[in-house]
Amino acid sequence: MNRGYSVSIVVFTIILAVVYLVYTGSYGLVEITIALLVGVGVSLVLAPDLILNPSKMSPRRFITAIYYLVKYFTIIEAKAHWSVLKLILMPSAKYNPAIVRIPYSVTSDYSILLISNSITNTPGTVVIDVDEKRKYLYVHWIDATSVEDQEARKSVSEEFENYAYKIFE
Amino acid sequence: MIDLILFYIGVALVFIGGVMDILATIGFFKFKEFYTRLHAATIGSIGGGLYPLIGVVFIVLGLDIDYNLKLVFTGTSIIAAGIIALATPAGSHILARGVYRSREESPSVIIDRLGEDLERGEME
Repeated sequence: MNRGYSVSIVVFTIILAVVYLVYTGSYGLVEITIALLVGVGVSLVLAPDLILNPSKMSPRRFITAIYYLVKYFTIIEAKAHWSVLKLILMPSAKYNPAIVRIPYSVTSDYSILLISNSITNTPGTVVIDVDEKRKYLYVHWIDATSVEDQEARKSVSEEFENYAYKIFE
Repeated sequence: MIDLILFYIGVALVFIGGVMDILATIGFFKFKEFYTRLHAATIGSIGGGLYPLIGVVFIVLGLDIDYNLKLVFTGTSIIAAGIIALATPAGSHILARGVYRSREESPSVIIDRLGEDLERGEME
C-alpha cells in the first residue's frame, strides 16, 4: 500500500462522510462514527477506480472547483437563462438552431464530464453526442451565432474548458 | 437584521424559480420541435428546480427555529440541489442522443454537423 493510495482513501472517506453528515443533518458521535466507518468501507473498494492519480489532488484545485461552482451557478447560468427566456417571451423571436461540432483538448474523463455537464446545464445548448476518438462534442445550439468549429468553441465551451484544465488536468 | 436579509434572499429565489417554471411551460408550447423544447426543459430543471432549493436553504437559515432543524433542512436541500445539478444534464443528454440516433425526429436546423459526420462514416 503506497502513499498515494492511502491519501486517496483518506480524502474520499472525508468527502463521503461529509456528504452523509450534511444529508442527515445530525452531528452526534454515533452519526460521525457510522459515517467514517461506512466511508472507509466504500472508499477501500471504490477509491482506486475513482481517483486515478492521487498526486493531482491539491487544496488549490478544490478552491478553484468551489470558485467555479459559485461563478457557474450565479453569473453564467443567469446569462444563459436570460438569453433563452428572451426567445420565449418575445412573440416574433428569430433563432437559428444548429448542431455544431466543438473540439476539446482535455484528456481525463472527469474533465469531459465537467465540460459536457456544464454545456447541457446552461439553457440554450445541449450535448447530443461525444466522439472520444476524434475529440469532438456535438452540441445542439438554439441560437447559433457561428457554425465553424473554433468560433463555436469560443462562445460555447472555452470558459468551461479553461476551468476543467485548472481543476482536473 | 441578517436573518431578515437571508429570509428575503430565499423568498426571492423561490419566487424566481416559480416564475421560471411558468415561463418554461410557455416555452414548451412556443417551441415546436423536440430539440428546442429540451432547452425549455433545462430552464425548468435548473431555474425552476435548483434555485428554489437554494432559496429554501436561505429561508431556513433566516427563520427563528431550532438549530437542529436548520441543519436537517439546509443539508437535505443542498444535497438534493447537487443531485439535480449532476443528474439532469445526463438525462437530457441521453434523451437527445436516443431521439437523434433512432431517427425518431429529424432536427430542423441550419446546419447538422453530426448528420454530416455520420453519413461520411467518420463517427460510428
